[in-house]
Amino acid sequence: MNAIEFKYITKRFGDLTANYNVSFAVRKNSVHCLIGENGAGKSTLMKILFGIYKPDSGIIKINNVEKSFDSPLDAIKSNIGMLHQHFMLIEDFTILENVILGSEVTIKYKIDFEWSEKTLNNFNDKYNLGLNLEQKISEISISEQQKVEILKLLYRNSEILIFDEPTAVLSPVEVKEFYKIIEKFKDEGKTIILITHKLHEVKEIADRVTVLRRGEVVYETEKENLDINILSRKIVGDVILKNDISKETVMINQEDSVIKLSNITLRKNGHDILNKLNLSLHNGEIYGVCGVEGNGQSELVDLIFGLEKKFSGYLEKNTNKISLVPDDRLKKGMIKEFTIGENLILKDKNKLNITKKYLTGLTDEVINNFDVRVPENSVIMKLLSGGNQQKVIFAREIELNNDVLIFSHPTRGVDINATAFIHSKIIEQRNAGKAVLLISSDLDELLSLSDKFGVIYKGTLVKEFSSELENIQNETMKNKLLEKIGKLMIGISVE
Amino acid sequence: MEFLLNKKLKANIVSISISVVLTFLITIILLLILGKNPVVVLGTMFGEVFGSGYGLGQTLFKATPLIICGCGLAICFHASIFNIGAEGQLNAGSFVISLVAFYFSGLPFILLFPLCLLSGFIVSGVFGLIPAIIKIKKGVSEVISTIMLNFIILALVNYLLIDFFAVKSTVRTEKISESFMIPKFSEYFQMFQGSSLNLTFVFALLLALFTYYLIYKTSFGYKLRAVGFNETASKYMGIKNNKIILLAFFIGSGITSFVGINFIMGYKGYYELGFSNNLGFTAIAVALLAKNNPIGVIFSALLFGILDYGGLAVNNIVPKEIMFVIQGIVILSILSVDKLVEKYYG
Repeated sequence: MNAIEFKYITKRFGDLTANYNVSFAVRKNSVHCLIGENGAGKSTLMKILFGIYKPDSGIIKINNVEKSFDSPLDAIKSNIGMLHQHFMLIEDFTILENVILGSEVTIKYKIDFEWSEKTLNNFNDKYNLGLNLEQKISEISISEQQKVEILKLLYRNSEILIFDEPTAVLSPVEVKEFYKIIEKFKDEGKTIILITHKLHEVKEIADRVTVLRRGEVVYETEKENLDINILSRKIVGDVILKNDISKETVMINQEDSVIKLSNITLRKNGHDILNKLNLSLHNGEIYGVCGVEGNGQSELVDLIFGLEKKFSGYLEKNTNKISLVPDDRLKKGMIKEFTIGENLILKDKNKLNITKKYLTGLTDEVINNFDVRVPENSVIMKLLSGGNQQKVIFAREIELNNDVLIFSHPTRGVDINATAFIHSKIIEQRNAGKAVLLISSDLDELLSLSDKFGVIYKGTLVKEFSSELENIQNETMKNKLLEKIGKLMIGISVE
Repeated sequence: MEFLLNKKLKANIVSISISVVLTFLITIILLLILGKNPVVVLGTMFGEVFGSGYGLGQTLFKATPLIICGCGLAICFHASIFNIGAEGQLNAGSFVISLVAFYFSGLPFILLFPLCLLSGFIVSGVFGLIPAIIKIKKGVSEVISTIMLNFIILALVNYLLIDFFAVKSTVRTEKISESFMIPKFSEYFQMFQGSSLNLTFVFALLLALFTYYLIYKTSFGYKLRAVGFNETASKYMGIKNNKIILLAFFIGSGITSFVGINFIMGYKGYYELGFSNNLGFTAIAVALLAKNNPIGVIFSALLFGILDYGGLAVNNIVPKEIMFVIQGIVILSILSVDKLVEKYYG
């Protein structure tokens, strides 16, 4: 039996066709992965299913009954729930208050907190979420916030669950936990649609996969016939992946560090966010930092970048020319209401060249050199896809020609093609003799790019690897290394 | 930028036009409910405003301070600073302008005029800096601090005026020298005979052009808008947010003092208690209606000028307070139509 059936769905926005004749079915009680590049139409399709958009033509059947939703409220009433990429939580409310918001159960106009708490704790135990309902959102980590969003869906009796890139913000350990929750859902008879960029995830968890490209369904396969190589080809089409740049030996005296942190401690609200941290960056070297989110990575970046000044310990900077591609591009990396050109000159010292002609020229150059895909030269950033926004930020930071480059989660939420491009640019910078700090939760990315590699746990770099990275091609060595790193990330020490 | 401006401009013009039409429809219904003939009321109003040089002059005269104050507020609003303190700020500046013009009567006009501008600007600007500093140091919302400062500034001006500077048994300052008065339009154009419209209007237009240039063409304006859109990103871009906020408060508040030029040097010759008559609040609506675009401020100030003078003209048919109602309807319809048009234009 099919839980959902899309039939000939077409949706256009002006000249852009986001979905064209999309037809496929999602079996009840299964995990269905929907994959494709940024802008392939995955999110649009899900927004149609969730009642945010109306399709221009085509129908949707839920449990074999044709449905048409005018708003998300209708979708929720049909037991469809969606976990958005960006969480919708109120920071100053507790978990409990956030979950019941909008569907409070009341007795004589008073909210029945007791009953709500009991219900939520039931879910909490059943799915091993491990949440403390009294905590405020502002006090919990991103992965816990995600669990709160999941709790919301459960509380609203969702039978069909849509997850939009749920693992993008999770560390490897948390991803495993997340899979377990998904498996539990399946056992309960729920239906799951998973949008993702990570193919190995698909292999691990999907029962059926649908690939979208340029708004159309181009491939569909069952678990048994799943082949990652075929999938990635189907996703990008006939484009050849541009991952052809390799590391060169850089002939620079690597004895002198460009930036050196010795015994750095940073205290905030009574906690040591960074704790006696030692790190040095060298020219022509990529230093990778991995760890579970919230172990001091973003503070480390702010500290090196110069925004965090209240620390103890010794920070030696031989340069102030530092570029940064921040972790949260919408919040820290760009002004989304500005055009590409206006965003490119954000870091110019004088900013006197804001003539239209100059900006147009600059934008054209970046569009060509960085393969940014835009409808128009003068488009505002908000209207670009995540991967293209990231490329613009990359262009700005690289063109500054600084001595040190910090990349924080550079490929988060970015599709395969753009990821390959961004990786090649990072290596290019290293080969040009720049010092690079790479922070990521994607272990594959870290292992393949880094020259040196540190694991951060509770504000300390607990272990550093360098020579081990040379044998990374060897599958068994790699797995051994991964296992070690995985343990270190959650605070288990290894020899 | 061109693409953005064009599309945005188009959307703005569409939404403003729809709102104005909507406002007229609602006004007509309102007049019918009151038992008045809309044709007579609106006819009289527009007849008075556009039918004579005097009416036109008075309308432009009423629009002049709104343009000036609207421009100052537009600068603040672009930095996402919701300055509700213009009423106080402009009174402080205007008061000082009247004193400077009176006590430096020995100076030639060519020196005195810039001195008046400068002193008014600095005084109003400094009163704008107070909420800015509280905001930066203590994170207090400027909405609260500026609104409270209004009372403090007005009380302070009251005290200084009545205890030290007022002409005996009045609530106004001494009259400034006749030679400092700014020429009226009627001296050049016969048609404006009797109206108070003076060259300050031209000054206001130039100020709007200058403000437009400042916001959209200069490096300062660019940073101002960046901070207004996204403070966090601006910080990461190396922009000194606090400096920008201080400057926006200082310049924006400082400009509001220039409304005193129109009243003191262009009209009465003295500062008088209550001259502003909530100008500082009306200007908020003027700036909002114009989407904080200084060129748009000219037009929205004209609309408010028409309503203001038109209200006086129809006062014997309907209470002139109905114009406040219309002002309210304009703003409400702009705000609601805006969302719809925005959706349509993407």
